This record gives sequence, structure tokens and C-alpha cells, in this order.
Amino acid sequence: MRGPLAVALGILTAIGGFLDAGDLVTNAVVGSRFGLTLAWVVVMGVIGICVFAHMSGKVAAVSGRATFEIIRERLGPRAAGANLVASLAVTVLTLTAEIGGMALALQLASSVERRLWMPVAALAVWLVLWRVRFQVMENVTGLLGLTLIGFAVALYLLGPDWGELARQTLQPAVPPSEGAAVYWYFAIALLGAAMTPYEVFFFSSGGVEERWTVKDLATSRLNVFVGFPFGGVLSIAIAGCAAVVLLPLGIEVDAMSQIVLPVAQAGGPLLLAVVIVGLVSATTGAALETALSAGYTLSQYLGWSWGKFRRPAEAARFHVAMIVALVVAVGVLMTGVDPIAVTEYSVVFSAVALPLTYLPILVVANDPEYMGEHVNGRVLNAVGTLYLVILVVASAAAVPLMIVTEAGA
Amino acid sequence: MIAGDLIDVEVRDADGERLGYVVDLRLVLDRPPEAGAVLAGARLHGLVVSPRTRTSFLGYERTSVRAPWPIAQLLRRRHRGSFLVHWPDVASVPSLDATRRGKGAIVVLRRGFDRYDPALT
Amino acid sequence: MSTGLLPEPDQPGRVVDAELHLLDRQVLDVDGEPVCTVDDLELGAVGDDPDIDRPLAGDTTVVVTALLSGPVLGGVVGGRPDSSRRHRIAWRYVTDIGTAVHLGAHGEQFSATWVERWLRERVFSRIPGGRHDPEADE
Repeated sequence: MRGPLAVALGILTAIGGFLDAGDLVTNAVVGSRFGLTLAWVVVMGVIGICVFAHMSGKVAAVSGRATFEIIRERLGPRAAGANLVASLAVTVLTLTAEIGGMALALQLASSVERRLWMPVAALAVWLVLWRVRFQVMENVTGLLGLTLIGFAVALYLLGPDWGELARQTLQPAVPPSEGAAVYWYFAIALLGAAMTPYEVFFFSSGGVEERWTVKDLATSRLNVFVGFPFGGVLSIAIAGCAAVVLLPLGIEVDAMSQIVLPVAQAGGPLLLAVVIVGLVSATTGAALETALSAGYTLSQYLGWSWGKFRRPAEAARFHVAMIVALVVAVGVLMTGVDPIAVTEYSVVFSAVALPLTYLPILVVANDPEYMGEHVNGRVLNAVGTLYLVILVVASAAAVPLMIVTEAGA
Repeated sequence: MIAGDLIDVEVRDADGERLGYVVDLRLVLDRPPEAGAVLAGARLHGLVVSPRTRTSFLGYERTSVRAPWPIAQLLRRRHRGSFLVHWPDVASVPSLDATRRGKGAIVVLRRGFDRYDPALT
Repeated sequence: MSTGLLPEPDQPGRVVDAELHLLDRQVLDVDGEPVCTVDDLELGAVGDDPDIDRPLAGDTTVVVTALLSGPVLGGVVGGRPDSSRRHRIAWRYVTDIGTAVHLGAHGEQFSATWVERWLRERVFSRIPGGRHDPEADE
């Protein structure tokens, strides 16, 4: 145990999952349009990711095998290959949004054109991947990301009608201004974001990076049950801020800068500064998480040597994969597309990746040849199976809903 | 020959009746180890044949793996009627030509072959 | 599993299923370093030259002669990947079959790792920090 820093992996994983640039905007969009009527989805997503991240961490600690190794092993080259392509698409789309977000922050701080900052941001990410020790990386980004608690503070300072927020949360209904299809489209997008597959790839591989063994099962559990609820609470707080301030004014969020309006209103420049530090470090943390996840998934599928605990030369193809991911991200950004808008298409790829990721985790967590006495108990299996059914249904509905609602427009 | 020449291939009996597909190769480590080897040699003991599907058992061919219950049930139902045929009961395997083309590959079993319980523990 | 099947007699050695226990598993070398995945298995008649590639049936005793690596996508596209593009790891190097397949030799000696070695020696060793041990104290 390393004191409070022992949960840094869980915090960083959750930040990358719940509070990456795309999700920050989605949370605020949802709050400004639906209030807290979709908060139940975030709660559901937190429970789901806790259950499966717990299993993936347990498999990594007991058997030493990271999640994409077991996906390949159990599903075979074809189905695992389909998952690889879909997961890499989600991961690289998110990485693209994060590099774009970092460049935007640098532009705001310097008033130098954003496109000039994109390669700089990518280079900075690469330097951390190349040089910085895994534990230092997760501790710094995890700790700085904690400043996002500023959103919860802002919500408290805004002094909202708590009864009304509670009613929206506990008795959700589609707001009269929105159609049911749009409501369900955002519900699926939020569930997919909360349970996005690169979280388990990163978490389980991070466990291997930290050389977890059976003795670290408690650490794994602690990371899961602190990290993801933290991410979920902040995700709801961001939506809450937008619901309290922007919804009554009829402002629909369409850019990153609008997310912080409620914070400035509630807490003034000091809280705003704190939250901006949080946004920058969350975006950077998510960039590191997604770049590493791209390297982890490809290396584990193909049996390459991987991990930041090795010298870069001893995991050469793993580092090449991450460099290629960063180059692709910068290349996409250079075309001038809106980096946040590209993450909307993640929903399509998640529909393929989610069931093909969580099914093998659930199956292997029950395999005594991997887990010995640590196989899943009945409750974990019941919840895991239920979520698998929910994910299959949500995946099947995702693409039709996306087309019908024009991606929630 | 490689394992991929046999796995997923259609299986027929001596009269040309389709019996299913090869879903796994059963190996027994009972050959004397080669010079310098630690592990015994792996003998091809038989083929696991599933009547309706080429998809995998996902590990549920082992009787010790039963959870989660709905997934185990689903896979066992898909693979109901599976059997193990011992290697000496295999009359012919796909020609190299058929495996290269990836089409028309079949495994034919000897007349009077025996069906064994495919379960592992 | 169902009725009408003969009971399988006890076998004189460990029973392993190719798909379940070997194929698609990670191969680790004697130091636990990743080598490749098991993409296929080479099967041969006892006493045959390993270069002979021929179909074998029940009248011949067949053994696993090697683990094969790459190209994994050959099997995805359909048809059989060309044997010249596959890397062999002879069965005699296998020391244990668990959640990974363990070898009793160093990964460097197998052709399956040539891309990794080439990148390491020709490219990564020349980039500053390429040989830096991230776990060492700064």
C-alpha cells in the first residue's frame, strides 16, 4: 500500500472514462438539456464499470494476464480482431479529442493559434509515455485531477433547489422540450461513456505495470470502488451545474468554454482557476490513458512485449503503436474537424466493443484455471450477467437511435 | 499439416452424412519427451465434433466450469450432441489443395467410429 | 454431457485441448518476457522431417511439432496463410502450459521476435532514453 496514492490508478482510470474532453462536454450538454433526468444512467454506469473493472483487476492480479490477452485467448482471432478494431477506433477518437482539448487550453493561455499547439501537445504526451515512470504519471495526473471536485463545490455554492434536483434524479422523465428517442440516445451514449472499454484495458494493464499479485486484490478493489464513484459523482456534478445555470437560460452547451460558466458564476475567479487546472489535467490524463490503451490492446492482441515498466527498447513495437496513435490523432485534428464532435461517433464503435470486451472478462473471471479460489461469487455473476444483457440491448439500439436522432441533434 | 487445417472443418461419416464441425483438437501429453525437452510430446488424441456450430465452447466444455449459469447453459445448449472421436477413427482429412483454397475441406470418419464423451474436468 | 456416448478412458498423460489451452495464448520466454501468441500449431507424423507438410489421417500417430506465430490475419481473411510467413517454435522448448505458454529458452533466439529485435537495435537504441530503465531512480 502506498497510502492515499494507492488509489491513483483508479482515479486516473475513472478520469479518462468519465471526465475526458468528450464526456465533459456531453455531461454539460445533458445537464443543459435534460437536467438531472439522466443521472440514473450515470449511477448505472458506475455500478457496471465497477463490477467489470473489479473482475479485470482481479484476473490481472491473480493470473498476470491483462484484459486484451484474455479477449484474444477466449474469443479467438476473428471476434477479438473485430473488438480490437472497434476499441482502437474509440480509443484513438478519444485521444484525438484530448490532444485537441490540450491544444485549446494552451491557446487560451497563450493566444497562439491552436493548430500550432497540437503537435506540441502530442509531443508532450509522448515524452511522458517515453520517459516518466508509470507510478509518477498516475500520481501526478490523479492528484491534479482531484481539483475537478471544484464542480461539486460550485454546485453546492449555487444553492440549487435540492428537492427539484432529487426529484429529477429519482423520478426521471423525458423533459417536454425533448423527444423520447433523443433522451434514449443520450442515455446509451452516457452508459457507453461510463463503461467505455479502454478503462478496463488501462486498469488491468496498469495492475500488471504495478506488478499486482494475489496480495494486491484489496488494492485493486479499493481503486475500483473509490475511483469510479468519484468519476461518476463529478460527472453528475457537471451536469448539475449546467442544469442549474444553463437550462433555465435556455443555453445549450456546444463548446468546452461553456462548461465552466456555472463555476465562474458560483465561485468566482479562484474556483474557476482550480477547475481549469482540473480540466487541463483531466484532458492530459485521458490522453495518456488512451494512448497507453492503444498500445496495450494492440500489443496484447498480437503477443508483443509491452508496458512502461520495461525500457522503451524492450517494448519497441508497443512504443511504435503509441507513436502511430498520436500521429493519427494530430493528423485528424489538422484537417480542422471539431475534436469534440468526432467523439460522438464513438457510440457506434462502442456498440461492437462493449459486449465483446465484457463477455470474456465475465467468462474468465469464472475460470478456475485462471482464478483458482478467486473465481466470481454468485452476486458478482448475477450483476455481471445482467449488465451484459443491458449492454447487448443498448448496443443493438445505439446505431438506429443515432441515425434517427442525427446523433442527438 | 497445421491445427488450422482441421479446426472449423466439416465432419462427415463414411456415407457422406454431415455430423458437424471440428471445434477442438484433443491432445494427450504422453509421448516420450524429445532430447532436451521438459514437457512430454503432445499426441493428437482425437477431434471434438459439435453438430451445429463452428463457434467455440468458451471454456464450458469443462465440467468444473458452470458459472455464470445462463452463459454456461446457453453454450452447452449450442453444443448439445458434441462428441469426441479418437484419431484412429479419422479416415481422411482435407487435402492441402482444399485447405489452401479454404473451400470444400472435409474430415471423413471411418465406418463404425465410436463417439466418446468430450467433457473435460 | 449427454447420453449415448462412450465414457472417455483415463489417459496416461495430461489432457490438453488445442483451442482451449494453446491457441491464442501468450507465449512467454524463460525470463517471462513476451515472445508472441500461439497463432497455430504444426502437426507432424512421428519421425517425419519437420519440413514435410502433408495431410495426416488416423492411420498415423500425429504429434504437435511446433507452435506457429503469424500472420494472424491469414485465418481471418480465409484460406491458409503461406508457410513461409509463419515462425516456428519447436515443441521441445515448451516447458509449461498455463494461462500463458512458457518456453525454456530466450525469446531472442526465435524468428518470431525479429521485428522487435530489429526495432530495438536499429531504431530505439539510438533515440535518447530508449535504453533508460523507467523503474530506476532518476
